[in-house]
Amino acid sequence: MPPAVTALTGMLLMGVIAFAIGRRRCAHPRFEGRPFHSTQAYYGWYAALWTVLPAVGIYFTAYILFLCRVYAVSAATLIPAATAASALGLFRAYVGIRPELRARNAVEQTIMAGLLIASFVSILTTLGIVVSVVFEAMTFFKQVPFFEFLTGTKWNPDTAFLIGAGREGEQALKPQFGSVPLFAGTFMITLIAMCVSIPIGLFSAIFMSEYASPGLRRVAKPVLEILAGIPTVVYGFFAAITVSPLIVAWAEKLGFQADSTNALSPGLVMGIMIIPFVSSLSDDVITAVPNSMREGAFALGATKSETIKKVLLPAALPGIVSAFLLAVSRAVGETMIVVMAAGLRANLTANPLEGMTTVTVRIVDALTGDQAFDSLETLSAFALGFVLLLVTLVLNIISAVVIRKFHEKYE
Amino acid sequence: MKKTGKTMAVMACVGLVAGLGQAREQIRIVGSSTVYPFSSAVAEEFGATTEFPTPVVESTGSGGGHKLFSQGVGDNTPDITNSSRKMKKSEFEANVKNGVGSITEVVIGYDGIAIAHNVDNDELTLSIDDLFRAVAALVPVDGELVANPYEKWSDINPALPDTAILIYGPPTTSGTRDAFHELVMHKAAKKYKELYEPIAKKGEYQAIRDDGAYVDAGENDNLIVQKLEKESHAIGIFGYSFLEENGDRIQGAVIEGVSPEPATISSGEYPISRSLYFYVKNAHLGVIPGLKEYVDLFVSEQMIGDRGYLKRVGLVPLPADQRAEVRKNVAEAKALTAADFE
Amino acid sequence: MSREHARSGILRSRKDEEMKLLGKRHRHERRFRAYSITALLLACTFLVLFFGDMIHKGYKSMRQTFLRVEISYNEESKASPLYAVDDDLSYLVSRGRLRTIPREIKQNPRLLNTTNTEWAVASADVDQYVKGAANRLRPREKKLIDRMKEEGNVQLRFNRGFFTNGDSKLPEIAGIKAAAVGTLYVIFVTILVSFPIGVLSAVYLEEFAPDNWLTRTIEVNINNLAAIPSILFGLLGLAIFINFMGMPRSSALVGGLTLSLMTLPVIIISTRVALKAVPDSIRQGALALGASKVQAVFQQVLPQCIPGVLTGTIIGMARAMGETAPLIIVGMIAYIPEPPTTLGSAATVLPAQIFTWSSASLRAFSERTAAAILVLLAILLVLNAAAIVMRNKFEKRW
Repeated sequence: MPPAVTALTGMLLMGVIAFAIGRRRCAHPRFEGRPFHSTQAYYGWYAALWTVLPAVGIYFTAYILFLCRVYAVSAATLIPAATAASALGLFRAYVGIRPELRARNAVEQTIMAGLLIASFVSILTTLGIVVSVVFEAMTFFKQVPFFEFLTGTKWNPDTAFLIGAGREGEQALKPQFGSVPLFAGTFMITLIAMCVSIPIGLFSAIFMSEYASPGLRRVAKPVLEILAGIPTVVYGFFAAITVSPLIVAWAEKLGFQADSTNALSPGLVMGIMIIPFVSSLSDDVITAVPNSMREGAFALGATKSETIKKVLLPAALPGIVSAFLLAVSRAVGETMIVVMAAGLRANLTANPLEGMTTVTVRIVDALTGDQAFDSLETLSAFALGFVLLLVTLVLNIISAVVIRKFHEKYE
Repeated sequence: MKKTGKTMAVMACVGLVAGLGQAREQIRIVGSSTVYPFSSAVAEEFGATTEFPTPVVESTGSGGGHKLFSQGVGDNTPDITNSSRKMKKSEFEANVKNGVGSITEVVIGYDGIAIAHNVDNDELTLSIDDLFRAVAALVPVDGELVANPYEKWSDINPALPDTAILIYGPPTTSGTRDAFHELVMHKAAKKYKELYEPIAKKGEYQAIRDDGAYVDAGENDNLIVQKLEKESHAIGIFGYSFLEENGDRIQGAVIEGVSPEPATISSGEYPISRSLYFYVKNAHLGVIPGLKEYVDLFVSEQMIGDRGYLKRVGLVPLPADQRAEVRKNVAEAKALTAADFE
Repeated sequence: MSREHARSGILRSRKDEEMKLLGKRHRHERRFRAYSITALLLACTFLVLFFGDMIHKGYKSMRQTFLRVEISYNEESKASPLYAVDDDLSYLVSRGRLRTIPREIKQNPRLLNTTNTEWAVASADVDQYVKGAANRLRPREKKLIDRMKEEGNVQLRFNRGFFTNGDSKLPEIAGIKAAAVGTLYVIFVTILVSFPIGVLSAVYLEEFAPDNWLTRTIEVNINNLAAIPSILFGLLGLAIFINFMGMPRSSALVGGLTLSLMTLPVIIISTRVALKAVPDSIRQGALALGASKVQAVFQQVLPQCIPGVLTGTIIGMARAMGETAPLIIVGMIAYIPEPPTTLGSAATVLPAQIFTWSSASLRAFSERTAAAILVLLAILLVLNAAAIVMRNKFEKRW
């Protein structure tokens, strides 16, 4: 049996035994007739915690030491050590169990600690993401100046690839890592997506919140949400295999030249994917506008559409704007649709019929391509990831602030 | 409710514990995306025809594969790395440093690069120099390097068709692009060595034009084939296997008077081809179940032979005497030595 | 008279004007309403088109061409299985069927020197030809298949292999079993990690957390986490789980952990909503009876919102099940034809399989891709429907 399995089973087993022992201890004749502070189960838990936690602590410390490459404790010393600690803990708990012992309070304090630790996981995750992109990104920026990366208009990592493929030093030509074309592609596709999702999403939200009967609304809302539930890889397949050829054919009929990896098809499909984000968030804010405002407008003789246009929408505007921002951040970070349907061509153009590439496509491509893990192009993926992280965070924070202002106004 | 909840929690724990650990059973293969189709085809045959589990093949790129491979000996490291080029001296040294001293090199065959276009077109005959002039960013004109001025093929060579240059080629991250650099660009640029020397070391110039005449496209993209069908003047750069798979829709251009065919590629006549390799970690032989059998199957006549399965997948077989030598090396587990890299 | 006439004229014209204006306003109203209905209809139309397209592309692969052939088990076919059938048929019958012959003989030596007529899986090209799609058969082979069809030796049957086989390089025998099992493994890890952590942190934030900067930081952070592009979670998985912690690449463990961090915010947010809906009277009642705060929350409040929590969890799982981008980064896009046996062994998932097939060069794979998409969509629709039903049925109104 591998050591990890032994350790875990051992720990579980000892915990169960300790629980039984702790509970039994309360029934000891010595304590007869004396009222216990907590119910028996708490004494069981008390003992179990005293048994398991020391072992967890030891394993955890050893693991951290191992991860930080400080010192690797062998399983042969670690498991007996942890078992011994558990036994000591159990002994300590056994001796400690008396009617006066506030077992419940002790157990509950541990639970509170557990809760706190659980809520730290989300912070650790964010930190983890930042850490995992920042270091590699810094290595990248040491070789490619940050400013050049942000403002350069040529993305041409050819030489970096050579180095990655293991043939460095064959060429003096410098690779170019100007990220402008990538961001241009990203924003072009995002823009197309927004042109699709904002009108459709907003009008759907208006229909559902103002015109639809409750029954229709109950059906329409989940149906719209199906759109958000379709996996992005499926949208990507649809964009690449169905939409792209259609666009190329139509463009030809109209006398235009369209690349098969044009920016239009992923943009359109992504727009459809985002409709439910826009519609359900806008729906929420429009519904949140107090009814008195609606009734006031009606009382003045306004029609429904006038009420919506002149009263509801202006009132709900901050909320709607924040929904748009969230949708934009969604579109910017979307990966599979563009990986499958947009091209790899770093192309600075305003023509959506040409092939364009995006930040996320380049990240995927650099990390799955034919080069070493420490080549400059692989590192560029982390630099791009870093900028992507910043962009989405800023969008998100702005949207959070705007929506909070909105809710403060009406609640 | 409470009880089922508890039972589920316990079962989950048991499942987690049972699921952890356990020594690796399958062979793990990493490396070049060019070798990946062949490697995974053999892996599948191996899984289907023997008692061993099917090896796991991941395409990490040649460089990435060598890096993972050289991390050391043991369960967590791959047994085989595929490579579209020979192992480098520095990579061998990294292996030795990490205790992977004994490695067997296996040559499996050739990979040709096809310059493909619509099957209904007239035959297209190109020289390496034509091709270079069509794709390079800077080209020599009258003894001077200028930004690529060619818009039509006939601008390069009056004998070529009078159509716009439009090339769908592999992206910078692909092995085919690497091979294209090596086999076309460097070769052609050597002729103008003194011109390229100042901007490219050893005159190995390989910057590709970015004015829209060359379009980065995925390697195995059916969409490119569709493009080539529709835009009859466009050409695509593919691995040879892709040409063979789509032979009903696209045809290969004749390069330097040789058309891409298995015979011409394996004889070395077809100029855009290279050898493919994989490297076996000898310390894992006998430890990872089936590793030896997998390698034996790979080098057997039924796989890499003249009528072998891989030929159908697109590999160009080695000549018979070289195949025999490869099998001999495998049988002896002949280890690479520092001398092989001199 | 004339003055009155003039006045009534003015009145009438004003009234006319007003009527006109009102008519205009009503037209605007109708137009606006039409816009909003159109928007909804557009979205629904797209949904119908999309499903129609997928079904149109994928339904064909639910059936598979089989050929009735005579398979001879002899020394020759033991050495080279292509000789087990007529020379003309060697490349028409799937290699996936023929290659197992030597093994069959080995396992059952009595088969040697016998022949057996059976329905064997046809190769992908034959399959495509029979279904009327593009293929690479030579004219001679097409004629042969036509003849066999007339003789009743070609049949389209339900494609069971699609559900019982793993990935293959041969489209005709490629299936989704390995990916489906891999998905189960990955989701198992995801639930195991994200469910307890998510629920516990939601309980903390909603019930216990003091209102201070730390709590506010955690809250802002959770909202941000929900909006971080999924691919960045892949970078985290690669850097932390694989490179730093040394977990095995492309394993269900790494994939599941990565996805669980991604679903965490979904579970936290929905659990908090559910907790918020439980009225304070429940808490106060428990406290009044002498329960501690922890007891009140865990024994009274939390059980009340199990439906809400489960709904959130199901939605989170459905999202994790459809996610691909982070898994590409942690190496789950590989040739993995066998279902994983442990959490540490290499695994692939349904969306990853869809991605691999969609970029495969053989055209026969595109119909498999659509079929795999249909399977995935069916699973996700069932999950989402379950979540909606659960929300409607068990949701308590206080």
